[in-house]
Amino acid sequence: MHERLSFYIKRDSVIHRLNPLTKLVLVFAFIGVAFTFPWYWMSLSLFLFVLIPLAFVAKVSREYFFTATRLILPAAGFLFLMQALFQPIGEEIIFQFYFLDATRESLAFAFTIAARIIVMISAFTLLLLTTHPSELMSDLTRRGLPGQFAYVIISTLQILPQMQAKAQTIIAAQRSRGLDTESTFLKRAGSVLPLVGPLVFGSLVEVEERAIAIEARGFTSKKEKTSLHEVPDTVTDKTIRWVLIILIILSISLNLWL
Amino acid sequence: MLDKIKSNFNTQTWVLIPIAIAINLVVGQIVLTLKLPVFLDSIGTVLVAVLCGPWAGALTGALSNTIAGIALDPGWFPWWPVAAMIGYMAGRMAEWGFFKSWWKVVVTGFVIALTAVIVSTPIAVYLFGGITASGSSFITAYLLQTGQGIWQAVASTSFITEPVDKITTAMLAFAIILGLPKRTVGGYPKAANAEAEGADRNQLYIAIGVVVLLVLFAAFLLRNILGG
Amino acid sequence: MALVNIQNLTYKYPLTKTPALQNINLQIEQGEFISVIGANGAGKSTLCYALAGFVPHFFKGEISGEIEVDGVASSKSTLDEWVVNVGLAFQNPFNQISGAKYTVFEEIAFGLENAGVPREQMQSRVEEAMKLTGISNLADRSPYSLSGGQQQRVALTSILVMQPKLLVLDEPTSQMDPIGTREVFSVIHNLTQSGMTVVMVEHKVEWIAHFATRVIALKDGSILTEGKPGDVLTSDVLTKNGFGVSRYTSVAREAKKQGLWKKEKLPVTLFEAAEGFNRNA
Repeated sequence: MHERLSFYIKRDSVIHRLNPLTKLVLVFAFIGVAFTFPWYWMSLSLFLFVLIPLAFVAKVSREYFFTATRLILPAAGFLFLMQALFQPIGEEIIFQFYFLDATRESLAFAFTIAARIIVMISAFTLLLLTTHPSELMSDLTRRGLPGQFAYVIISTLQILPQMQAKAQTIIAAQRSRGLDTESTFLKRAGSVLPLVGPLVFGSLVEVEERAIAIEARGFTSKKEKTSLHEVPDTVTDKTIRWVLIILIILSISLNLWL
Repeated sequence: MLDKIKSNFNTQTWVLIPIAIAINLVVGQIVLTLKLPVFLDSIGTVLVAVLCGPWAGALTGALSNTIAGIALDPGWFPWWPVAAMIGYMAGRMAEWGFFKSWWKVVVTGFVIALTAVIVSTPIAVYLFGGITASGSSFITAYLLQTGQGIWQAVASTSFITEPVDKITTAMLAFAIILGLPKRTVGGYPKAANAEAEGADRNQLYIAIGVVVLLVLFAAFLLRNILGG
Repeated sequence: MALVNIQNLTYKYPLTKTPALQNINLQIEQGEFISVIGANGAGKSTLCYALAGFVPHFFKGEISGEIEVDGVASSKSTLDEWVVNVGLAFQNPFNQISGAKYTVFEEIAFGLENAGVPREQMQSRVEEAMKLTGISNLADRSPYSLSGGQQQRVALTSILVMQPKLLVLDEPTSQMDPIGTREVFSVIHNLTQSGMTVVMVEHKVEWIAHFATRVIALKDGSILTEGKPGDVLTSDVLTKNGFGVSRYTSVAREAKKQGLWKKEKLPVTLFEAAEGFNRNA
């Protein structure tokens, strides 16, 4: 029930100590290079030779592999299969499955897409494992992101698991009253309202009171906000960010040039 | 422009957005459990768009996909522009007075669906070569095999799935707003856009009729494509 | 000069026909503890919202008359300026959690961050406020993992930390079990000791008799009667207008009819009743 939607693992490592913005730029550098760098093996190399070692440096390798096998590989594997079989490109057929066939070209295309997706997700995973959401948000707020955004993001991350739990309770209650998720189409369609209604109305009626509660604590204050936590930003951080930005630009230019 | 955007946001808007995102995702999961041929994962976005305005709607859509990408399944992530445009268009339609009665809400749902098709097609084509990780890609793949162009195949696929989904979404959002106490609705910036005009039961029947026809049409298309 | 000065206040919510408050006149001195009683729809919550600035700034609607706190008129102020001086806590502890914070400590600091209080002061002010309400041990817990009574104390602390001149409490214990109620009242007891000015809507008559310096009874948006707890809570006016009285009052009232209660004044609490009957014997 108290499961929070946060991957964050509290450890002491170089990566944990980096400024959150630096890590965010790092994620976008991974994605930018994976999607634009004109070398077939780039995405896979990034994953194998940069992201995985970084997970070890960050002392989160165990959690990283756990997320990878549970989340990343199934998603990438499914995408790979779909692409390999359904992409109607290429001539040289490797194998056939009913009317679907995998060609050399469609396999290559599938590999590229799947590897990019792996890089994208695993880069985000690394960020989320090593950065507490409130640390990220308070750093971004300090840099000028309106405070309301921090409120929205963190509040969503806390409300979502609560609402999921509520939904489970409602589904269980409706099941005990004879709801059958395997019954006829009309019956299933008819059960949408009794399931969704209580969930939605309950939370919408609370909005006014919750708005009053945060206004009572100066949510709309026009004063410049301060932050309880100080998020360090070092010269190293700034240097890393510039290097990464140059890398992204370089990769994009190479892509356009070649 | 900036003032127009700001007019969408009061404290109630900021409190509503996280709840709306949670509604999107949780209702989407419930519908998945019920194995219905719709997604219904933008009810919250449409609610915000109608009650607070197009910009608030767009923000809700974009954040919804971002957070779902982080918290549930990374597959949500690339589609944030679609969700944002759904929110924006729903808000615009409401501003134009198209969220005040059942048949108008059906029109709004259809316009949102068209928007979704237009925005999602290039993403599917450029990012995934037309084949996404969604189940409806079977249809796209089939259309591709029959020799259709990639743009046409992707767009027709989403044109089969989107209208029913988005019209149902818009109607559910309307039903929710009608069901809320007037006082609860009154505090939002654009509450006036959702004021129902002349309650007419016939409109509801017409609207439901349109939806049923669309469902049958989609089923007909599906059978012809897959069976033929 | 009085801390709070309400003059001829009449207010109507949007979309309603009858005013929620009618011609309210009320002065509150620094350090008073005022208890507001009344039936549902009598205007108790509206009065709280008016004191806290939400009527009319948040709810809109039609207002006439004036509310002043510490010499500043509500009509000439904005809500974000107003809430610095007047703190508000209400029934549902769950809805008072901001949702924007992961720990109780951060939750309490939320208001200070919004008000732009420097980091160095923030730390000590949060610690001090938590000590006052006895929740220092909860600092690192998630606000959502707490019991109702604990959450309500966190909500109170989150308001107190902003050092308001007036504290408005709208039925803070109505959703609490007996343990939660006692927790919240012990905090309120500490507040009265420190000289805080408090306006509190509450139904638990015995607690009111224990804490309040003055009781105000509302009916249909107007002040029916006001005065010392011992007088108001035992007055015939209340009974005639359908207010509930403490069971000790009703017992003593019956006893008085039969000549068993000799004192002029009727009791509110068990202690007063016991003392009165004891003297009879």
